[in-house]
Amino acid sequence: MLFRGSISIAIAGLLTAMATARAFDDAKYPDLFGVWRRVNLRPGGQPSFDPTKPWGRGQQAPLTPEYQAIHEASLADQANGGQGNWQSGARCMPPGMPASMTAYGEMEIVVLPEVTHILLNHNSGYHRRIYTDGRDWPKEVEPSFQGYSIGKWIDEDGSGHVNLLEVETRHFKGPRALDPTGLPVHADNQSIVKERIFFDKTDPTILHDEITLIDHAYTRPWTVLKSYQREPGKYPIHSQEDCAATTANVLIGKELYYLSPDRELMPTRKDQPPPDLSYFRTYDR
Amino acid sequence: MRYRSWIVAFGSLVALCFTLAESRAWDETRYPDLKGQWRPIGDPTRFDPSNAWGRGQQAPLTPEYQALFEANLKDQAAGGQGLAQTNTCISPGMPRVTNGYGQIEVVVTPRTTHIMVEHINDNRRIYTDGRGWPTEIEPTYLGYSIGTWIDTDGDGRYDVLEVETRGFNGPRTYDNSGIPLHEDNLTVVRERIYLDKSDPNIFHDEVTVTDHALTRPWIVTKSYHREPDRQPSWREVTCAENNNRVDIGKQNYMLSPDGQLMPTRKDQPPPDLRYFNRSGKQGP
Repeated sequence: MLFRGSISIAIAGLLTAMATARAFDDAKYPDLFGVWRRVNLRPGGQPSFDPTKPWGRGQQAPLTPEYQAIHEASLADQANGGQGNWQSGARCMPPGMPASMTAYGEMEIVVLPEVTHILLNHNSGYHRRIYTDGRDWPKEVEPSFQGYSIGKWIDEDGSGHVNLLEVETRHFKGPRALDPTGLPVHADNQSIVKERIFFDKTDPTILHDEITLIDHAYTRPWTVLKSYQREPGKYPIHSQEDCAATTANVLIGKELYYLSPDRELMPTRKDQPPPDLSYFRTYDR
Repeated sequence: MRYRSWIVAFGSLVALCFTLAESRAWDETRYPDLKGQWRPIGDPTRFDPSNAWGRGQQAPLTPEYQALFEANLKDQAAGGQGLAQTNTCISPGMPRVTNGYGQIEVVVTPRTTHIMVEHINDNRRIYTDGRGWPTEIEPTYLGYSIGTWIDTDGDGRYDVLEVETRGFNGPRTYDNSGIPLHEDNLTVVRERIYLDKSDPNIFHDEVTVTDHALTRPWIVTKSYHREPDRQPSWREVTCAENNNRVDIGKQNYMLSPDGQLMPTRKDQPPPDLRYFNRSGKQGP
């Protein structure tokens, strides 16, 4: 009996040691390692918020009349050579959430027990942190373009492996837009973005993000499904986009100009006035 | 017989446990605890924090690059930016990002160690998945980094991350005084990253730069301290949001609060407006 008792204690001790030593059992989480790229359904135009529909008016976004007018003004400005509401291209600004998840460039997802990082290679790189450590909303949050995200991993089928990441994101700042036509979100920046991130049931190389935007510029919550495909290869290679080093756009005041190959200012539309040079002693050289 | 069956059962369980241990893809206890928020110890505007800024860095530059550096200092003294490129929100690149301009997070995973700095475009990936150097590397400011975790004292835990970084583009400088790297961008940066032996809330990065603008490898040890809050707040930094510098032609200008172009130094020429129809009025 003494021997059997000793063995039982040894077994219990061994199992306890195994359990405590394993600080992070990553086998519980889906393998999201690699380079992910947006699945481009190519319905027309540049990447759209709802990938099943063309960008701009084709999105049939449920905008309020006020924000429909703002979108129309953005389109009119762009038709005239301006940037409209889309700050991302001309100023190298992040589009902000939820447009970040359009994934204009490569995406990497790093899963740790307490946080999931989403790294997006576009402009100067965006970094989302989705806290999964059980925290509640802080009393004060500094607004940001990516917002503050709290997530929860779900084991939907009770298999012991989590397969769904539910995320809620709040506390934004602007300006943000949903697509390059300047499809707006409300200036109050009170958006709430809810996401469900999960693997495709039949194709493990496809990841989905079901995004629901709740925003005062919209008459109802707007839900879209984005998809991403993992690049094949054992050793993924991530690039570094550096918008500031490559952009040819220059915004001076409210006027957008273009830089020629020799980096001199050029107009972006017919009869565009040059910038005001009154701060210079002379402007004829 | 009963004892024998217990022994067999125990043996099977031990074998199962070892199998479980081996199938565990990621045992983070083998790696140093680098979680949390880190800040540089010392002034991040200097590449070598133990030496003074600018000429005080005593960078072992070749005469040609020393002359470029002096011309850069002269330009900065006149109000220009010299060779330092970050004022227009271009990534500082390697090895300058090791200066640690913002909040730093180190994320260790089995196949990659991320060093992320909330600054301009400073997030590094160090591949630790055993890959070799690719035949072709797309040049970037941060370069392509391959690392190896080392167990230096044989205790079963890694304690040093050795990193080599190549594949750069430029221009790059070491710090905001404009100490230049060679324009051939053939820089090789080697690093040893490790926790301090006596203080687990400090980590060091021993950086060795080999570059054709240097007469010898330049070795600098940087240190970072961990903020006490283990659930820190992270501040999103968007350089372009409030940037008021703009490069046009070969000149760097400022934007006034009302968005108009301003000179950055006395008698600076305005931009060349040859592409505009000058018959119209000036100014929008």
